[in-house]
Amino acid sequence: MPPERFDTTRPFITLGVLILVWLLLPTVVKRWSKISFYELQAPVEVSASYLRELQDYWSWRSRSKTDIYNAYQDLAGVAAQYAHAAEENATLRNEVQKLENLLRLPTFSAYRTEAARVVTRDLNAWWQRLTIRKGSRHGITVGAPVIFAGGVVGRVSEVHPHTAVVDMISSNRLRLAASFDGDDRPVSFQGGINPPLSRPEATVEFVPLDLYATPAQPQALITSGLGGVFPRGLRLGTVTQLEPSPDGLFKSGRVRLDPRLNKLTEVAVLIPLEPL
Amino acid sequence: MVQSHSSINPRLQFFYLPIALGGIVLAMGLVFQQTFRSDLALEKEMVQSQRRILVPGPRGNIYDREGRILVGNRPRFSVVLSLDELRSEFYREYISIRKAYRAVDDVDVPVSAEMWQIARFSVVERYLGRINRALDRRSELDARSLRRHFNAQRLLPYTLIEDLTPDEYARLIEQLPVNSPLQVYTTSTRYYPYGAAAAHALGYVSSNRDIEVDEDFPGADLMTFKMAGAHGRNGLESEFEEHLQGEAGGTIYRVDPSGYRVESLERRLPVQGDNLITSLDIDLQLAAESRMRDYEMAGAAVALDVMTGEVLVMASLPDYDLNDFSPRLSQRVATTINEQGAWLNRPLQGLYPPGSAFKILITLAGMEAGTIGPETTTKCGGYFRVGNRLFPCHDGHAHGEIALRTAIAKSCNVFYYEHGQETGAAQIAATARRFGFGQPTGIALPHESNGSLVPDPAWKRARIGSGWVPGDTANLSIGQGFMLVTPLQMATFTASVARGQTLTQPHLTHNPERPVQRGAPIGIAPGHYAALLEGMEECTISGTARTSFTTIPSMRIPGLRVAGKTGTAQKRTPEGTINFAWFIAFAPIENPQIAIAVMIEGDTPGEETGGGSFSAPVAHDILKKWAEKHPERIPPPPESVDPQVASK
Repeated sequence: MPPERFDTTRPFITLGVLILVWLLLPTVVKRWSKISFYELQAPVEVSASYLRELQDYWSWRSRSKTDIYNAYQDLAGVAAQYAHAAEENATLRNEVQKLENLLRLPTFSAYRTEAARVVTRDLNAWWQRLTIRKGSRHGITVGAPVIFAGGVVGRVSEVHPHTAVVDMISSNRLRLAASFDGDDRPVSFQGGINPPLSRPEATVEFVPLDLYATPAQPQALITSGLGGVFPRGLRLGTVTQLEPSPDGLFKSGRVRLDPRLNKLTEVAVLIPLEPL
Repeated sequence: MVQSHSSINPRLQFFYLPIALGGIVLAMGLVFQQTFRSDLALEKEMVQSQRRILVPGPRGNIYDREGRILVGNRPRFSVVLSLDELRSEFYREYISIRKAYRAVDDVDVPVSAEMWQIARFSVVERYLGRINRALDRRSELDARSLRRHFNAQRLLPYTLIEDLTPDEYARLIEQLPVNSPLQVYTTSTRYYPYGAAAAHALGYVSSNRDIEVDEDFPGADLMTFKMAGAHGRNGLESEFEEHLQGEAGGTIYRVDPSGYRVESLERRLPVQGDNLITSLDIDLQLAAESRMRDYEMAGAAVALDVMTGEVLVMASLPDYDLNDFSPRLSQRVATTINEQGAWLNRPLQGLYPPGSAFKILITLAGMEAGTIGPETTTKCGGYFRVGNRLFPCHDGHAHGEIALRTAIAKSCNVFYYEHGQETGAAQIAATARRFGFGQPTGIALPHESNGSLVPDPAWKRARIGSGWVPGDTANLSIGQGFMLVTPLQMATFTASVARGQTLTQPHLTHNPERPVQRGAPIGIAPGHYAALLEGMEECTISGTARTSFTTIPSMRIPGLRVAGKTGTAQKRTPEGTINFAWFIAFAPIENPQIAIAVMIEGDTPGEETGGGSFSAPVAHDILKKWAEKHPERIPPPPESVDPQVASK
């Protein structure tokens, strides 16, 4: 029978041995374990998201016929609005095409879009990211821009066969070259530190001194198109405040982001036709 | 079986006492160190484990009197690599290089220190390759510079590529991860929107590795790394160094025993220096320089606000583009500036004989002495005899019977030879000194010449060792001979005459509340003063400056009455005689606002470079621009009087 002292320290010794074994394992094995763990976890999350949709489906099915009829009518209204908007878009697209031809501008066709459902939203003070239900099998690559109806969502940071992780623009790990609407000069946009459930904010730096923004006269911030990742003109947010930096070279300020970023259910990934 | 020693071995007892004593001494030492010398230990630990990085604050901007920026700061983007974040990468690379050498069994295996250098170079080059691919560049890594930086300034970021374009900067901030050891770093450098305009007055800066911090900035005892700043080397940049210099910021880091950064402990942001508003008016400055550049000759132009003495224009040619100094002056540009003699700030460092422009002072000296009055006349036969020597009139032309007003307007030398002799050298010198000649003006700019000279008999005896002769007075009477002035002195003299006073203190900073100059009055009768002004006005109507103001219709400035005086001084050189073309003026005569002195150096021996042809047009352009900008300051013409009313 082992002495009593060994009994009490056995868990610590075991933990130490395990840590030692993990540390001594070759990097390849560690990496493989990590990927396998994620690949095991991903289907669970994806299945959960399907289940949630099924749950929604059955919750609708359990509604009364009147509810369903009303919802159908609302849906028909929305569908009609979208159809009208689509017609308008087609007209505008033709107009843009005509103007581009007149001005001999190159046509913007460097990306194709891949719509994807959001599987999980991981929003906290350290990082802000989404997992989407499409991955490398759908042509998504690391670095691809992700957008939604309100503008830029973020950038793909990890890609797995059927899922991808998107770093959102509200995350302080994401930085990109932006510009003020109507001004070509590039400024630096970076996500802020956003606690859960707060309205997302970001910061803008290296703003030329002759640009101004106040809460009363906010300025729209868009992607500059100069960074080589995001195409020009995608909306990032609204600059509500600009203050000169102490060194007097630039201004810096706050950007209010679209609150819908916190409840996204579907996004579109811009897949470059030529690899980045 | 376990044995226990119940009894004490007597042989061991011999050691107990020393060991106990030693233990007590150590314990007391420890208590002493902990109680009384803990501060010292803490300080030593801090000095060994902390490093301070100082970052200079950007300099203040320099504006013209209307708030237009003359000198500002331009951001300069660079890609830098934090070497202290690459420690583990360096180590991995070192191991892999060592393995590779061992694998091939090379006999010429480098020593460990060399292998470390190779490893560092290889890692940094990989990062540079990443930047080159992103920017489509072909920058190369300088092994020596990397080695020097790593050994001496490991904590400072190592600059891989300087001066990124806005597009390149945008590309990198989007493509580099936020937490990458590669970062886009911003510094500031001077930029000059008007290039060479007022280059000498504004001055330039040069790199300064010894930036200073406030005494209350923590970490004075720590090993400190300083980023390069800038300090003023000339002009306003130098004169107002303390005002313009930014406040340095910095960070204190904790480092490990190898000098790699562990964490930042304290940070203070750099603050921009104070701005400076100069008295210069860039519109007038550009107008003057534009005309002067057409001549492709050396020269100077100064314009002053008559009432306050504020300098509106200070032009010196040849000049240099201040943007060539930023971020640093190349040897090639420095050589060109040397060859052109462009370093000289001619308005306050150039010494020239004033020529006939000095006749205004001779007139005033004569009026003081009573030898010249409004009705004084002389018969000009084209020459004036002093002893055996004949002194020619202007162009050798005989003016005949000539009065004061015409003598000023036509610049008759004979009039001044004669009345200069009557006035006397001592009186002329005394009057010149009263107007500030012979001493620096005291303008707030470095290196103003002390060599301005007002000669008199005492000076000649002391310096040259010979007596003053009447020929010296004749020369002095037309601003020739030993007399030397700077263009700035001529401008202050003109402003003083315009106000009817003797001294004007020039200022190069703008102060809207600056009081009107209060110099001593000239001390001549109003009628005498009026005659002087009439002569000067006539100079621009029918005299030697008429082509620049009256004869050519397109050169007329509507409504502006200008008082002026030309001068063409001569200097003998081994190659022949060269001219210095002068023109002094002020306007409007009724209420003087702006005073000007222009000097153009002739560059071809024997070629006539006259004040009326070369310098007066520069003054004309300044006045024209001034009149365009300030029509409200030009007095309206007198109303025409109805003859019937007049007869009543």
